[in-house]
Amino acid sequence: MRSLLYRLFRAFPATTGFLLASAPLAAAPAPDGGAARHTLNPVAIGMFLLFVLVTLFITWWAANRTRSSHDFYNAGGQISGLQNGAAIAGDFMSAASFLGITGLIFLGGFDGLVLALGAFSAWPLMLFLLARRVRNLGRFTFIDVVSERLERTPIRLVTVFGTLIVVILYLIAQMVGAGKLIQLLFGLPYEVAVIAISALVLAYVAFGGMLATTWVQIVKAVLLLTGVTICAVLVLHNVGYSLDELLVQASAAHPSGDAILRPGLLFKDPLQVTTTLVSMLFGTLALPHVLMRLYTVPDMHQAKMSAFYASVFIGYFYIALLVIGFGTVMLLYGNPRFFDADGGIIGGSNMASIHLATAVGGDMLTGFMSAVTFATILAVVAGLTVSGAAAISHDLYAEVLCKGEPDPAKELQLTRISTLTIGAIAVVLGILFQDENVAFIAAMPMVVSASVNFPVLFLSLFWAGFTTRGAIIGALLGLVSSVVLIVIGPQVWVSVLGFEQALFPYDYPALFTLPMALAACWLFSVTDRSSRADRDRGNYPALLLRSEFGNAPPAGAARSAQRTV
Amino acid sequence: METEGKLALVRRRTRRRMVFSVIILLSYFAFVLNWTGAGAFLTRALPGSHITGSLLMFVFLILFFLALELAFLWLYRREG
Repeated sequence: MRSLLYRLFRAFPATTGFLLASAPLAAAPAPDGGAARHTLNPVAIGMFLLFVLVTLFITWWAANRTRSSHDFYNAGGQISGLQNGAAIAGDFMSAASFLGITGLIFLGGFDGLVLALGAFSAWPLMLFLLARRVRNLGRFTFIDVVSERLERTPIRLVTVFGTLIVVILYLIAQMVGAGKLIQLLFGLPYEVAVIAISALVLAYVAFGGMLATTWVQIVKAVLLLTGVTICAVLVLHNVGYSLDELLVQASAAHPSGDAILRPGLLFKDPLQVTTTLVSMLFGTLALPHVLMRLYTVPDMHQAKMSAFYASVFIGYFYIALLVIGFGTVMLLYGNPRFFDADGGIIGGSNMASIHLATAVGGDMLTGFMSAVTFATILAVVAGLTVSGAAAISHDLYAEVLCKGEPDPAKELQLTRISTLTIGAIAVVLGILFQDENVAFIAAMPMVVSASVNFPVLFLSLFWAGFTTRGAIIGALLGLVSSVVLIVIGPQVWVSVLGFEQALFPYDYPALFTLPMALAACWLFSVTDRSSRADRDRGNYPALLLRSEFGNAPPAGAARSAQRTV
Repeated sequence: METEGKLALVRRRTRRRMVFSVIILLSYFAFVLNWTGAGAFLTRALPGSHITGSLLMFVFLILFFLALELAFLWLYRREG
């Protein structure tokens, strides 16, 4: 199984790496093929071209409405809660979710659902804990929120650093996965695929900013939800719309029999499950490109509704994946059409959902789902690019270097330059990492987000005693411990560096790094007797009121108020 | 409303947020029971069906969390 999953990582690393990273290397329940190219599908190409034309039209429309940094970063704050919920779902339901979770269910049945639950459950917490307060306190990024009460320059530098690490790692993972995926689906050379994705995303983001990105994500969400609904209905049609019959037939088809309906095929250790759940939950809650979407709505009520609608869309998506996952087991195992000469599924288990589309809907549905998968990647990469550009031009340039008073024209110009730079970096790193095992890179953003961004954001909103010193030391400890534990974990220590046994047994170490970061934040805050600490604590009541009742003053005014506290 | 009154309201709302969040976290991490001896009952199929408690728990948690979100929004709406 180890070599089987390793081949899988090599073949198709990033879109699924972060999912498969947590799968214990236990018994082999299913065969797995290599990264053979998928047969070129004219329907897929046609639908993909249609999607590109529609999204470029959206970009042209949005470009005429993007005149300031405010428009660029948050679409002028005029997106409705429902639209934003759909865009969040479009941003978040990645190819990793669609292809990776289905592939995991195909391999290991029930265990594949662990990551689905982890990814979904962050959304209720987003509504309860963060949506209102983050929306009321920030302007463009979550870094605005943490710098409201803490010393602006050091906390911004630390959180910008954390954000860029998360964005770049996430971007590498997406680009490498996207390159491989496009290679498989459309038969394009890897480099051409990576450049094409980057060029399209740059067009969306550089010209249309957040408005174009939002609508690309909405279109993608609608297409993806339509696609999974069609696949799920067609699977259920095969079994007379009986979930029980689906499970009976899936158990009969799978080499492990009805063990796929219970836990234990991929995950054996409860601690492994727990640390994966912690990473997914708290990592998702603090992803910068997701939090940034809360500023695209006009008020806190719409921000809350955004989180709720996102939950509905994402929850529906994962329930549909349950049907699709067991549908792949039922319809693909034993059908030689989908397996190569060595007995592995063509393209690896991540192609299971695409093969399922072929099995239930023929070339037309295969083409549609392939185009949807491509759209999925574009939407996620666009969201990441906006977030990275905002961290550089808003958080670093405007707020740190210009002390909150930048020349608006220069700021917008820098935003576009940052976007182009991030796009170029994505292409270069995507090509450099194409033959590497990047599963660890895919795991890192969630762990870093959970261990660096989440503690700082959560404590700055909910703990009066939090100080700048505690935040900086806690964030740095979270970052260092995340990187060290991932490096000495199975994915890097064994798979990349070639050692026989990992020094740390888990791929997702957030169960250990998050408490460490929180403990450091607490310890170095309660022992902080500096005058800055007194101001940090004194700022809390005013922040609490603004976080709940709104009326957040503009950045300059906020700073003046802070100086007087 | 006076500042003290507003702060009291915020604290009440914060407690409510925490209660909802703790319910989510407890239910969420209860999913780990599936991999432990204490949760062995979850791995059994329902009477007359192939649907296991584990699968049911996955779907139930998603629906339960959505219901909690609705309740949370309703409480805020009622409060105005």
